[in-house]
Amino acid sequence: MEKNNAPTVFGGRKLKNDLIFIIALIVILVCVGLGVYFFRKPGDTVKVLVDGKLYGTYSLKEEREVEIKIGDNLNILVIKDGTVDMINASCRDGICVKHRPISKNGETITCLPNKVSVVVEKTSEKGDVDTTV
Amino acid sequence: MKKRILCFLLSAITLCSLLTGCQPRLKKFSAYEFGLFDTIGAITGYEESEEEFNKVKTEIFNILREYHQLFDIYAVYPEKTNLCTINNVKNGEVATTVDKKIVDMLSFSKDAYTLTNGRVNVCMGSVLSIWHDYREEGSDEPWNAKLPPMDDLVKANEHTSIENLVIDKENLTVKITDPNCRLDVGAIAKGYAVERVAEYLESIGKTNYLLNIGGNVRAIGTKGDGTPWLAGLEDPSGEKDFLDILELKDLSLVTSGSYQRYYYVDGKTYHHIIDKDTLMPSTGLTAVSVLTKDSGLGDALSTSLFCMSVEDGLALVESLEGVEARWLTESGETFYSTGFSQYIVKE
Repeated sequence: MEKNNAPTVFGGRKLKNDLIFIIALIVILVCVGLGVYFFRKPGDTVKVLVDGKLYGTYSLKEEREVEIKIGDNLNILVIKDGTVDMINASCRDGICVKHRPISKNGETITCLPNKVSVVVEKTSEKGDVDTTV
Repeated sequence: MKKRILCFLLSAITLCSLLTGCQPRLKKFSAYEFGLFDTIGAITGYEESEEEFNKVKTEIFNILREYHQLFDIYAVYPEKTNLCTINNVKNGEVATTVDKKIVDMLSFSKDAYTLTNGRVNVCMGSVLSIWHDYREEGSDEPWNAKLPPMDDLVKANEHTSIENLVIDKENLTVKITDPNCRLDVGAIAKGYAVERVAEYLESIGKTNYLLNIGGNVRAIGTKGDGTPWLAGLEDPSGEKDFLDILELKDLSLVTSGSYQRYYYVDGKTYHHIIDKDTLMPSTGLTAVSVLTKDSGLGDALSTSLFCMSVEDGLALVESLEGVEARWLTESGETFYSTGFSQYIVKE
């Protein structure tokens, strides 16, 4: 029992030091966490390319309509509920409009006559495909 | 106290490295280009820097553009002798001096002719160009869309013998002995070019690339983390997300489908893969996918299998080493070659 006194006094200092140690660790952790948060990759996006050049990048999460107008050519996309669909096109074959809505990583809708392509790009998740045929 | 500071620093360093260690060293990049082989080309690759990826992708697109121009049968390019130039020679006696790339591809095509029992025939241009023109006109003016008259097709078919194509590998010349015979390499050129790109990437030691050039998929190595690339087979009916998801490592995946290119005549669809026996779009199948290392072979095989019965096609595939295939019939049935399932991702 007598022996316990000394460690208690010493333990008080130890406790204080440990507290500083833990708080410092937490501060560092929060800083790193914030850094990761701010420098994280952008979320799921829809890329629209015209003749292979980037026309626009849109969030897959936001509901919106995108008009792609180049000269006389027109394609209209709808982004809704995490899917993208070509709803209208001035092209002659209409294969792009007939294409089902896309939502998976690497999926594309291509309008060959108007040289428009729409690509879904997601931050990789398990089970996501890299390309589609 | 010093010990404590040291201990603190060590913990902090360990913690930081643990947290940042989750970030992969290799980053994923993608690039797209339109117009090569009249389709869209997509490149995905893992590199440490964007600079390196941009260098590689530029070179890939340059190689594809070179092959596209050499193999183009619809247009000529300044100071370039290509397949269109050869087709325009209307004298069966004249041999044209060409780039070695053309000689190599046409020689490969002749081998493919033998392998597929004539179903891949680069000398079928006279027939295919008629279909091409009717399809283009029918797409431009859908109300006026027509089918080519069978008489025209039969007449054109008299000029499709593979023997018309004479290749001189030593002197690098090509001659078409029948002036009415035309080359059409649509079933083979794109896959052949993709394979040449794959060879280039392998030669410079790249092991994390995926090419998808208008449906010709070629995996060079794996993803950045060493796992196989995943390719989804589109469901033409749109009912399922994918028919199958396939794992690709140093492998090509080529699909021929009736839903890829077509036009309407009187409300009925007519696709672009023409059966050499009927001279009409082949019937019975909706899609055939071929897995094999060589993308050129995959391209040739998927086209020929599309014009064969499942039974005959299966016999051909099983007789070849390193080739697997998957059939989807018009009635919705699915058939696999024996080794195909090992590439399917099980859910």
